[in-house]
Amino acid sequence: MPPDNGGYMIAAYVVTAVILVGYALAMWRRARRAVGSD
Amino acid sequence: MGSCPGTTGSSVREAIRLALAIAAKDIRVELRSRTALLSAVVFAALVLVVFNFARDPTAIAAVDLAPSVLWVTFALAAMVALNRAFTIERENAALDGLLLAPVPREALFLGKLLANLAFVGTVEAVTLPLFVLFFNVDLGGALPGILGVTALATTGFVAVGTIFSAMAVRTRFAELLLPVLLLPFMVPPLIGAVQATSRLLSGRPLSEVMGWLRLLAIYDVVFVTLCMLVFSAVVDE
Amino acid sequence: MTLPVAARSIVSRGLATSAVALAGLAAVYVLALGFTPVEARQGLAQKIFYLHVPAAWSALLAFSLVGIASALYLWLLDPRLDRFAAASAEVGVAFSAVMLTTGPIWAKPIWGTWWTWDARLTLTLFLFFLFVGYLALRAAVQDPAERARFSAVVGILGMLLVPFVHLSVYLFRTLHPTPVVLKPSAPSLPPEMLRTLLISTLVFTVLYIGLVTVRYGIALAEEAREAPDAA
Repeated sequence: MPPDNGGYMIAAYVVTAVILVGYALAMWRRARRAVGSD
Repeated sequence: MGSCPGTTGSSVREAIRLALAIAAKDIRVELRSRTALLSAVVFAALVLVVFNFARDPTAIAAVDLAPSVLWVTFALAAMVALNRAFTIERENAALDGLLLAPVPREALFLGKLLANLAFVGTVEAVTLPLFVLFFNVDLGGALPGILGVTALATTGFVAVGTIFSAMAVRTRFAELLLPVLLLPFMVPPLIGAVQATSRLLSGRPLSEVMGWLRLLAIYDVVFVTLCMLVFSAVVDE
Repeated sequence: MTLPVAARSIVSRGLATSAVALAGLAAVYVLALGFTPVEARQGLAQKIFYLHVPAAWSALLAFSLVGIASALYLWLLDPRLDRFAAASAEVGVAFSAVMLTTGPIWAKPIWGTWWTWDARLTLTLFLFFLFVGYLALRAAVQDPAERARFSAVVGILGMLLVPFVHLSVYLFRTLHPTPVVLKPSAPSLPPEMLRTLLISTLVFTVLYIGLVTVRYGIALAEEAREAPDAA
């Protein structure tokens, strides 16, 4: 019977998504300011 | 870049002579003012005092913590000393004059390294007896070994520290930047130094710590060489 | 091509690549969570492996490239190398952050403790600090040429530090092994797990490439803004 540790898995998957998507979004916003608006 | 022409043999001797001259000049300047030296020594002594009160004497014997206490103190004192050393130099704009002359940058780095080693070494020389006193350390026959370990590890700290303080001192946040940059580089020598010191203080013979001494020596060779080669990138425009 | 136009095209390419990679990441999530067998002894938490290991690979890749670009910069003095190194360092911090968070979250259920000073986790921590130091130095130096030279020095020194950290921590650890509650054995991976791992690694690599490209383009665009006549 495998141990009941799904909570950790969810936490890790959420944190990873937050960090990577968050960074990508921050880069997208910065890119629009640096390159766009003309 | 400013290397002197000539046969390899004589230019190496020339470079060493220059390095010693630069070191001697720096040491003389520091001896004249002495404030940096004194404040570094006082800092180290105070760190030792703090360590004494930062433990529960009934729970942890002084002898167990001793090697760590000594080396954390040495590491912090080295950083304080390096910061001060380059700040003074910037105030005197001493480096600029030297840079205009065709001095090989490797010799310049060696000179700075030797001067900083003398500075940090002096702080350590005063701190060690205080440490023995405050923590009731029985040196036994370990002194030569400990001096050797100290020389090797300190060279590692100071080589990288000389480069980083030369850079940090040109920025606004030098006191914060230097530790952030330097501390990761102090960890391998620190590990070696604490392990070796711990064994020596327990009375183990020098032969048993040869592995750690080798690690320290290799670290020194790699980083002194590397720092010598990149020094030009730090001081030249 | 003028500088701003070049920057714009680089940024677009980078954003497109990153978008594809993020879509790939979503696919990896589905794959790992829904279509990969659960490891019997470790349970669901083992699936963190499919994120942690590729993140480690990307962080290490980012770090090595910072070191190599730094060495090449001091030799060739090409500002593109400096711009690339800075971009790689920033993206490296992001992947290191993933490593440093997923590592303990994985360690707690599997090893019984949030943190251990084993060689891998410790090296992770060091990479993070080296990246941060590199970026802190860049933030503190105003002159671009000086900043490039100083960063390159730190990049090279940092790259050479890694083997020493690895060696000394390893020696330290073999003397002071900390007890571990449940040490997972290292069996050969069943094919489905290996497949998921490899796909995830590929996705993370593409994500690294995309993000570095965007970051590089941003740096180029910001430089073009500050010196419009330098185009």
